[in-house]
Amino acid sequence: MKNLKLLFGKGNSIGQYGMIIALIAIVIFFSITTKGLILEPTNVINLFLQYSYILILALGMVMVIIAGHIDLSVGSVAAFVGIIVAQSMSVWHWPAWAAIILGLAVGALVGAWQGFWVAFVRVPAFIVTLAGQLIFRGANQIIGQSTSVPTPDSYNAIGAGYLGDFGPDFGYSNGTLLIGLATIIALIVIEARGRSRRKKMQAEVPPLWVSIVRTGVLVAVTLVATYLFGAGPVGTSIPIVAIILGVLTIIYGFITKNTIFGRQVYAVGGNASAAVLSGVSARKVNFFVMANMSVLAAVAGMVFVGYSNASGPADGTGWELDAIAAVFVGGAAVAGGIGTISGSIIGGLVMALLSNGLQLMGIESNKVQIIRGLVLLVAVAFDVYSKSQGRPSLIGGMMRQFQKKDTEQNTVAAQQPQSIQDQPDKVNTQ
Amino acid sequence: MRKKLIAGIGLALVAGLALSGCSARGTSGSDSGSSTEIKKGDLIGVALPAKTSQNWVLAGAAFEKSIEDAGFKADIQYANAGNPVPDQQSQISGMVTKGAKVVIIGAADGSQLGSQVKAAKAKGVTVIAWDRNILNTKNVDYYVAFNNYKVGQLQAQALLDGLKAEKGDGPYNIELFAGSADDANATVFFNGAMNVLEPKIKDGTVKVTSGQETFQKVQTKGWLAQNAQSRMTDLLSQYYSGDTKLDGVLSPNDTLARAILTATKAAGKPNPVVTGQDSETASIPLIMQGTQYSTIYKNTTEEAQAAIDLVSDLSKGNKPDTKIDKTNNYNGVKTVPAIELTPVLVTKENAVEAYKGNDTLEALAKKG
Repeated sequence: MKNLKLLFGKGNSIGQYGMIIALIAIVIFFSITTKGLILEPTNVINLFLQYSYILILALGMVMVIIAGHIDLSVGSVAAFVGIIVAQSMSVWHWPAWAAIILGLAVGALVGAWQGFWVAFVRVPAFIVTLAGQLIFRGANQIIGQSTSVPTPDSYNAIGAGYLGDFGPDFGYSNGTLLIGLATIIALIVIEARGRSRRKKMQAEVPPLWVSIVRTGVLVAVTLVATYLFGAGPVGTSIPIVAIILGVLTIIYGFITKNTIFGRQVYAVGGNASAAVLSGVSARKVNFFVMANMSVLAAVAGMVFVGYSNASGPADGTGWELDAIAAVFVGGAAVAGGIGTISGSIIGGLVMALLSNGLQLMGIESNKVQIIRGLVLLVAVAFDVYSKSQGRPSLIGGMMRQFQKKDTEQNTVAAQQPQSIQDQPDKVNTQ
Repeated sequence: MRKKLIAGIGLALVAGLALSGCSARGTSGSDSGSSTEIKKGDLIGVALPAKTSQNWVLAGAAFEKSIEDAGFKADIQYANAGNPVPDQQSQISGMVTKGAKVVIIGAADGSQLGSQVKAAKAKGVTVIAWDRNILNTKNVDYYVAFNNYKVGQLQAQALLDGLKAEKGDGPYNIELFAGSADDANATVFFNGAMNVLEPKIKDGTVKVTSGQETFQKVQTKGWLAQNAQSRMTDLLSQYYSGDTKLDGVLSPNDTLARAILTATKAAGKPNPVVTGQDSETASIPLIMQGTQYSTIYKNTTEEAQAAIDLVSDLSKGNKPDTKIDKTNNYNGVKTVPAIELTPVLVTKENAVEAYKGNDTLEALAKKG
């Protein structure tokens, strides 16, 4: 047991890795019931093509929820941006790159609008974004005249395209192999640098085997992912949208964990008055969190339009609820202050795998919805129950462990035994 | 030194992966274009939109039966009403993953399935658009639907027959209504109808009193009942206030027909002969009472059977009997080879017989 603690960090029993275990259990369950279909390379690629837009939304939504707000407008904003982008290409004949920049700009404008009402006029985000949901849905219908607007192939690549094939044929997609290789090297380098820095700081260095096993597990996961993305039919490989998602996840993971702004978001969500008294500008935090959400909604909308080859009048309906569900399954707290990027991504993957697996089993979509609803309820209830038992939040605790593990490698502060990360609950639940 | 070691290890791992199985990449399908052979017992995926109308509910059952009878395996899925497009997209991808040899798609939005049918074609799956065409893609093999041009022709013929039967001798005063400009089918209905009506307008048998005879002038935005009703009300007060009597109205569907009848009733005018389409449950009693003259019935069971007959044909290696019909079946990139079914015109006289096999409609017709 001590060894496990060394592997995953201090102060937690193995039971706290519930969410990862749940994810693995779901994969095993569906592997049996779908006779391995769920782990077919084609299906894994499809999974990312189909659900990346929800995961992108979840990245922004978790920050909104950590800050103690909610955003109900993301679906409508995504649709609004989507129709503008589609129109700019089909009616004004803009090139794809210009349309994408326009889409991001519109997303930022919409975000500034919503951020203004939330941060400066202090209308609750629930109301501002409920209004936004109506406003931008209506605007979407007006611009598109409630019809679908097709987009050109040059643009569709952002949602439906793959890393191209090049170089000699090894039987796998070369681009995917290169990304896999880069990830593996990065993992090893990070671990090695973490160790050497600890040595230099004369901090406690974990036994070598711990480093090797820990890195080995991550490398193995990367290898499996590389295989799954690389072994699909010729012409497919890692989807471009998955790369977008990966880059965004790294950026937002870094922002929330390692930047002042990121920590301020947690502070404002945990206790706004205390944060303000400590010199945090709650206005600034609220404004940027809301604005950022709309920009990510714009990205999600554009990606979906690319995947669908057209912007449709019903795009974005119910997306906000999928994103919010992913965040809460991933261990965020309704009251704010708690939640992680990695947790939300895993929560989103759990929900996506559920839909995908049940669909492959041939379960009717209405029943799939019921099952997903129950999973959301049970996941959060389980988390609430374990918190009420005085134990740290299962899901949250597990996620913090990952966060800590990374932080240990990346920052000097985290190496102190009494650092903030070692007492996460005290900081986050005050 | 260490860095070299690390890079070496990483490279070795990936190279090992690459070399471990050169045939790992799925090449289960043929290259682009050609479809794989279909055999008895193969899986046929049917992706239908949300169950928003009776017709779609009937379609599922009809497909289940005809696929089973033809000796294939069925995987029938409806999109979720809350979020139909993404749901249908993943259902189609799922069917392809499951190894379906044919996917039959009743599109929730025909313009948003390009990526899915492309992936399906890449695996050699035969893609059949059903009832609604799949737009802006070359990856559709067949289109099975009712002939919409024919619908228009039947509507116009019904109008002429109705006028003769109910309004004595001509010439007759009529008005024209069409569907929404953003629906590709709306112009097809209208053109079909005008194909029959135009000679009669020229020879003076019928007269469009308002002179509004082009699609642009007679279209009904969004297929909305309220738009048709207000246009009818305006026409009545503008052109039929004196002795001029309105004898008949060409209406493209039942919803608009009822809106038109509401307007004439509100203006206190005698009932004109009004056509329709879709056999909506609200219109059948009106037809049986003689308020609305006609509607069109598209038999869903027959339409499903036609798709499965096509699949059976393909599995036997026969060349299917398809039409290349640009007016009806051009999807923006190509004219999809089509199986076109002829819809049935329904009036009071033949309603009970026409609705045989559809319990709800048959009961309504008998009751009326």
